[in-house]
Amino acid sequence: MNANQVAERSRILEGLVTFVTRSFMVEASDIDMDKSLIDQGIIDSFGLMEITTFIENTFGAKIQEQDMTREAFGSMNKMATFVYRRKCGEI
Amino acid sequence: MTETAPSARQPGVTRQRCARCVLSAPFPNIKFDVEGVCNFCRDEVGARSDDTAIDRGRARVMELFAARKARGATYDAVLCNSGGKDSSYTLKLAVEKYGLTVLSFTLDNGFVAPAARDNIHRIVDALGVDHITVRPALDVFKSVVRAASMLPIYGEQSLTRISAGCNACISLVNTTALRLALEKEIPFILAGFTLGQIPANGIVYRNHYRFLAESREASMSRLRDAVGLEVDRLYGVPDSVIDRAPTYPYNINLLCLESITETQILAEVGKLGWKRPSGLDGCSSNCMLNTFNNYVHERRHGYSPYELELSHLVRKDLMTRSEALEKLADQPLEQLPYLVKSLALSPEDLATLGLSADGQVAG
Ligand SMILES: [Zn+2]
Repeated sequence: MNANQVAERSRILEGLVTFVTRSFMVEASDIDMDKSLIDQGIIDSFGLMEITTFIENTFGAKIQEQDMTREAFGSMNKMATFVYRRKCGEI
Repeated sequence: MTETAPSARQPGVTRQRCARCVLSAPFPNIKFDVEGVCNFCRDEVGARSDDTAIDRGRARVMELFAARKARGATYDAVLCNSGGKDSSYTLKLAVEKYGLTVLSFTLDNGFVAPAARDNIHRIVDALGVDHITVRPALDVFKSVVRAASMLPIYGEQSLTRISAGCNACISLVNTTALRLALEKEIPFILAGFTLGQIPANGIVYRNHYRFLAESREASMSRLRDAVGLEVDRLYGVPDSVIDRAPTYPYNINLLCLESITETQILAEVGKLGWKRPSGLDGCSSNCMLNTFNNYVHERRHGYSPYELELSHLVRKDLMTRSEALEKLADQPLEQLPYLVKSLALSPEDLATLGLSADGQVAG
């Protein structure tokens, strides 16, 4: 990734962190960015649906049924990368 | 900012509460400013993004309904009908405002107030809707409620809006509704949740069962350990049902798209024959078990599972703060002995919950 791409991905991650902290009553420092939010007890399955709706609405990244995997949603970092790659047409 | 009215569940206990809404000091991540107003009330950015999410939800719902095919012999939607005022009003909206052909479905958990059952029948009759009731094996259901109440089955974060007992029941409602929708090829699942009970980004979503089931596996595994493999029969959807269905249905919460007060809802459903059942707590209009679930939640977490929902209504001017406080305080604790006996709680469980051997609030 070049500097612009890194900045764009960070912007996405920041948006996700703001949404998660506000919606699920946690501090950013409580979140392990490389672990599943469900495994960390931050969200439940309903929370996962909220995040997908938020991603579609905020970043305009369409989420298909086959995208609903641990690979794409298994951590904050994975989600940010997924959204970034979907937005720039990499996937 | 200190609430001086005694808590119904903890007589004599006073607690710090937001001066504007009804959130109290034990609520996760709450902070009060010098005026005694909480950070959730001060979160204007959050409120604005909620409004945007509601507008998007509304547009999506209209798009989905407009694209629905003429169903002919089958239903447009299955509606989870608790018999409470909100699901009754949602059924009215679905039929009269949106013109949907609805199958009404009630999960009878053994604690539906008899008057709520009468309300269900009056409303479906008045609206000309088919209705079915599903009653799970109550010994298993009660074991699940016991486990959810006494053990850390669900993550703390999923219990900010709902008690563990209610969560166990609503998960069962959702799974049963999904199974019905898949079996009968019904494209929409409707429920009477309001904003506050669910977040603005949960108004409409595709029910990707397999993905969601994977994310629920940790709590299911704890439930299996506590109750037994029967929980899979209640909370699972067989692969054959999923594979046969053409697509997953959408869950839609129509009531979140309305700006309506409780008084207006009561007037509307009253015209269809709905009457408020007596003897239930201030936050429920259908389920007797709610009193027990509220008691347990307050005991375990220190705040009511209804604080978030009521605070939302107060902020939106759909309820006054004193009305909300009255609801929180209105808990018929005299029903606890009957409820804990029905749930067959052990003497150890009762002691943990601060209840005497016959289920009275100790002290
Ligand atoms: Zn507040």
